[in-house]
Amino acid sequence: MAELMQWLLNNWLLIIIPVLTFLTAYIVGLWLRRKAFDVFRRWTAKSKWAGTQLVIETFRNPFLLWFILLGIYLAVYVSVLDPEYKLVAGRVISTLFVVSIMLVMITLSEKLIRFYLTKRELFRAQIPLLVNVVRTTVIVVGLLIVLDIWGMPTTPIILVLAAGLLIAIFALRDTLPSLFYGAHIAWSEQIKKGDFIQTENGESGYITALNWRNTEIKTLEGNCTIIPNTILSRTRIINYGHPLKKASSPFRFYTRLTFKQLTGLKATNLQELAEIMKEASDSIIYYHTHSFLEEHHYLTPEPANDFALWVSDSLGHEILGERLASIDAFDYPSLDALKMRLVGVITDYMAHNPDDRVAIEGEAFHFIRSKIVILPTAYIAHDLREFIEVMKKITIDSIFYHIFEARLRLKKSSNDFSVWIEDCLGDKDLAGKIARLDPYTYTLESLRANIIEIVETHTR
Amino acid sequence: MQENSNKQSKSKIQDYEPIVGRSYIEELRLLGDRLNNKVIQNINSTYIGGGVAEILDHMVPLVNQLGVDMRWDVIQGNNDFFSVTKKFHNAIHGIHENITASDFDLFIETTQKNAEQIKLYGDIIFVHDPQPIALIAQKETIGRKWAWRCHIDISSPDETVWNFLHKFIVHYDAAVFSAPNFARQLSIPQFLISPSIDPLSDKNKELPIETINAVLSKYGLYQEKPMILQVSRFDRLKDPVGVIAAFEMVRKNIDCQLVLAGGTATDDPESEEVLKEVKERASGNPDIHVLLIPPGSDIEINALQRAATVILQKSIKEGFGLTVSEALWKKKPVVATGVGGITLQVKHKFTGLLCHSIEGAAYSIRQLLINREYANWLGQNGHQHVKQNFLITRHVRDYLLLFLSLYHPDDVIYL
Repeated sequence: MAELMQWLLNNWLLIIIPVLTFLTAYIVGLWLRRKAFDVFRRWTAKSKWAGTQLVIETFRNPFLLWFILLGIYLAVYVSVLDPEYKLVAGRVISTLFVVSIMLVMITLSEKLIRFYLTKRELFRAQIPLLVNVVRTTVIVVGLLIVLDIWGMPTTPIILVLAAGLLIAIFALRDTLPSLFYGAHIAWSEQIKKGDFIQTENGESGYITALNWRNTEIKTLEGNCTIIPNTILSRTRIINYGHPLKKASSPFRFYTRLTFKQLTGLKATNLQELAEIMKEASDSIIYYHTHSFLEEHHYLTPEPANDFALWVSDSLGHEILGERLASIDAFDYPSLDALKMRLVGVITDYMAHNPDDRVAIEGEAFHFIRSKIVILPTAYIAHDLREFIEVMKKITIDSIFYHIFEARLRLKKSSNDFSVWIEDCLGDKDLAGKIARLDPYTYTLESLRANIIEIVETHTR
Repeated sequence: MQENSNKQSKSKIQDYEPIVGRSYIEELRLLGDRLNNKVIQNINSTYIGGGVAEILDHMVPLVNQLGVDMRWDVIQGNNDFFSVTKKFHNAIHGIHENITASDFDLFIETTQKNAEQIKLYGDIIFVHDPQPIALIAQKETIGRKWAWRCHIDISSPDETVWNFLHKFIVHYDAAVFSAPNFARQLSIPQFLISPSIDPLSDKNKELPIETINAVLSKYGLYQEKPMILQVSRFDRLKDPVGVIAAFEMVRKNIDCQLVLAGGTATDDPESEEVLKEVKERASGNPDIHVLLIPPGSDIEINALQRAATVILQKSIKEGFGLTVSEALWKKKPVVATGVGGITLQVKHKFTGLLCHSIEGAAYSIRQLLINREYANWLGQNGHQHVKQNFLITRHVRDYLLLFLSLYHPDDVIYL
């Protein structure tokens, strides 16, 4: 012990210089850390960058550690150690420095990834993958630097890594564009989960999920369609934005398909026509007053009902034909009331025109009954936006069912669309606008277009 | 009994989506779903030749693609049997035939032989035309649903034959006719299902202009001159001589050409005679072209129809007259007599013009040649009318509805 004390007294200068060097570096480090963080805080206060605290937390301790390492390095450098020991000490300190930098890079990148990507639906599920990719990259680069510090050859390792990278890129050549476009979609934020979109090839629906490779949409038929991001980014998309008010219960679109049943009954003059009509069932009257709407839905103006056409064209009773054609089925609450009106007009005409013309052979009036088959389609609307899109897709049979069949044949108070809009969406105003349309004055296609326009105008 | 196992349609059901719309095909699939546990067995008398075979050839694969197990079998019979059924066919059309008791016996005997050989596996047995009609006797033993599809006009039949057939018809669950005026009052439900054209067949598909011009050149027709066309076999009931008379009236004022295109029927010895008569009547007039088109020349018929300015169907008597739908599908203005099923296809002044005389036909043709805009409007309407009512997709739909209705007698059926 005495010998050691004696040695220290004799060589105090050799010890004090490295110690002072270390302490100086440490104090400068403390001072610089305070200054640097103050400057950084002021800068981020101006820029209002939300990641300030993350950076400060990550750098606070390592920053001082780096000055401690610097102090040790300088202390060793000014010491009287053998150059051989100095070299080893310098490599050890450099290695520690590189390792600390790696830890800081890993910690910071992980925090920033989580900080930014947690908010983005597309990336949320990919955070662990991204963190691992960054972590691996930093470790690989750090190890290469450490190997270089210790004088080991790194070129072969770099070549192997480069080859591995190329192989990975080749293997992922189909996936990478999707990832790229996925990132583009996510950063641009042009579409988001919950948006209602329509692509240029007609697919439409609400976005239910976004990921790196695909975008999932729930179509109006209730199917899940997966669109690769590469396709989505090259397609023209109409984004209608977030859903509108949801109906208390959805509207299920039905269709009705008609089927003609021959009754075997036929009339060749007005007398026979009126007598058979008096006894005719609703389904017969319905067929002859509505079939023309469907069979000639492309015509504007549409031909009149079958009775009007026959008395004009086959019997030559033009005036009666006009009177029958002018009867608007929309004015009558039931088929029975409509039938009585038609029969009334014919019998009244016969009373004033006792002319018993007979149709020529082959032009008798054949009474036909319509049988209808009603079945649900795959289309369901939960809100008015879905309603509009489905209206564009369904057949005219479906429109016919919800407008015409509902009121007269199935004896509902109004058309189905108005009932749903009023009862399930609470929108009396819109329901009334549709209910006031006289469907008999439109072709089925123009009726479709009118309803769509009314609803679109209302939702803007 | 043979079972047809080699029927392949060229078209897939989804090929019709661009024509009738995706939703229409979706609805067919919905109907198909409701029938996917039923086997439908078609029975007729031949796989090849005739309208019924042609329809089934297209129909069966399409219905199968909708998930419905539809099959097709034919009955067997010797020449004597088919001679008897030919007599029945003529008699049903009101033509007098000498039908003896032995003819009826042969019909019953052949049916019984078929009934012994036949495997009636269908849940629904769909019998076409009179030849296999008496198989209904098996219903008592096996039950099932039976429907009779009558492709011919039975409105004014020979009473003896009618009374014989009527005994069988009334045991069916339903009968199906092509037009209201083809039917009679029956005690069983009767349905109306019109025949149809296939828009994707050679006879109706779109053709390149080069093909049309090549056909015109082949027959020496003028491309620039308005063309009036009637496509029908050479038969007095199609009134080809009346067509020439109407054309001559039109030709006095308007420079145009007439094309009478058709074939001769092997089972109609009169057709050669009619052709000769028509050629004589047309001789000396370079604007009248009488073209004998061989069977199977669907592309050529298609090209002629597409090249025509006005298409005529001046029949005196007609079955359904699907050549009218073919013309309307090609957006051509049509002048036709209001007989048979033509009245369903041509709504006067909406989808074409109806006439009742040679003078009427000439007047209508003149109107259409002079008023091209009106002619185009009629053609457009006609196209839409066929699209809505006379395409094979509508035919498939009606058949599926028929099969469903056999299990649901109400007017309104909820599925």
